Amino acid sequence: MRRELRFLLALWQANLQAAMEFRTAFLTQVVGMVINNGLYFLFWVLFFNRFEQVAGYGLADMALLFGVAACSFGLGVYLFGNATSLAEIIGEGKLDYYLALPRPALLHTLASRSVASGLGDASYGLISFLAVGPHTPDGLIRFVVAVACGTAVFVGFMVLVNSLAFWIGGATQISSQALMALITFATYPVGLFDGTAKLLLFTVMPAALMGSVPAAFVRSFGWPELALLAAGAAGFLGLAVLVFQRGLRRYESGSAITTQS
Amino acid sequence: MIGRKLAKYGAVFTTQLQSAAAYPLDLAARSLSIVLFMVVFFGLWRATFAAQGATSIAGLSLRDTLWYLMLAETIVLSRPRMAQQIAAQVRDGSIAYLLNKPYSFLLYQAAFSLGDSALRMLFNGLAGGAVVWLLVGPPPAIWGLPLVLVAMALGWMIDFCVAALLGLTAFFSEEVTAFEWIYNKLLFLLGGLLIPLDFFPEWLQRVAKALPFAAAIYGPARLFVSPSISAFAGLLAIQVGWICGLGLLVALAYRQGTAHLSINGG
Repeated sequence: MRRELRFLLALWQANLQAAMEFRTAFLTQVVGMVINNGLYFLFWVLFFNRFEQVAGYGLADMALLFGVAACSFGLGVYLFGNATSLAEIIGEGKLDYYLALPRPALLHTLASRSVASGLGDASYGLISFLAVGPHTPDGLIRFVVAVACGTAVFVGFMVLVNSLAFWIGGATQISSQALMALITFATYPVGLFDGTAKLLLFTVMPAALMGSVPAAFVRSFGWPELALLAAGAAGFLGLAVLVFQRGLRRYESGSAITTQS
Repeated sequence: MIGRKLAKYGAVFTTQLQSAAAYPLDLAARSLSIVLFMVVFFGLWRATFAAQGATSIAGLSLRDTLWYLMLAETIVLSRPRMAQQIAAQVRDGSIAYLLNKPYSFLLYQAAFSLGDSALRMLFNGLAGGAVVWLLVGPPPAIWGLPLVLVAMALGWMIDFCVAALLGLTAFFSEEVTAFEWIYNKLLFLLGGLLIPLDFFPEWLQRVAKALPFAAAIYGPARLFVSPSISAFAGLLAIQVGWICGLGLLVALAYRQGTAHLSINGG
């Protein structure tokens, strides 16, 4: 476990060093994404200026929900950048490189790329949390726990969807649609939906576990929320590893063993 | 003479249209996005109308709002990512092969992008229309559709001009992603994609309605839910004004950009 952690840290360090080679482009992406999210959030400012409350949410609640979701997504794509492009890697037979090395293939593949704009999303999420609170030490701890669980759900879900490529080949379109659906639903209060839609948002499309539930947990501690988050994070990550391992048995090499610098 | 000149752009448009039509399943899969957005918007606006206890807000009913948002989403989801295309062509040097051909680079881009958008617009409109019809019933008025199509075409040209301006900045900066994000968000907000401009405070409505973003999205979408000849004529005047102004800017930017361009590869 400690060995894997050291390996992860080394990968993230290498990614950062690579990004620093193009410092201006990196910073433009990070700062650009913070501004981008801020501009998007103006929608909610205008909305609540007119309507005050919807589904029990006010502007501060929405800022927290948006912040938690942005932070979870941002950390997911910054630390495990290939989670969103795994289908392409599998489909094109590019897993060969990772399989040939004596490290866990899934972990290595996921953490081999960092999406710079993800750091902008994560920064925006943190700014959003700092703006609306709760400004207490335990509030900060809950934020960290909620974001960690949200990130785990996001990465786990993306691995699951992208792993479809082992069975159907071209899964790029499905995975990009799933990503968009997850992000869209995660940034709206789950209370807006009812019946089957709500059930889906906790299970098949776990957007509620990336947005509404962690935001509610940050707002005030609750055992049910914590249990849901922990179960969601462990469940999706565990299932992702299992499905990926199963899928590997069906993997067909693309003879794409190349050296990477 | 003009007919012959236009024919080559017609050929570019047709080729791109055929290329897009070769993958109908891909087009259908892309249309899932609009279905998703409309489900989310339905949840949001149904709750909002219920919370207000009102059947109409700023002159729009829930049905009007949903059909308005459907058309606005259709326009936005069918836009080509032209700024990125130009930036990629500058980065990999392939732009050199486009600049030395016997056609206008900008008109080529316009014909190419229109070919890309046309089918996507059709698929998005059909998928979005079907789901909104199921959720809130038929559109409030259908007779204005021909006027809306004209307004959508002119709105597309406004968006094309701004996207071309962004793309041409690649001649200087090579990377346009951050500019594109910010333009998109301005389009979403001040164009009325996420919330009809009628729900804005009075002062902001006045500002937003005078900008090109609203002429590209809000104008056609609002015309769709409450069509009238006078509204169409007013919108037409605004759209033509913006197309002339922005078109001039694009031509100037192109002249400056080509003088400044340095090719990286090819």
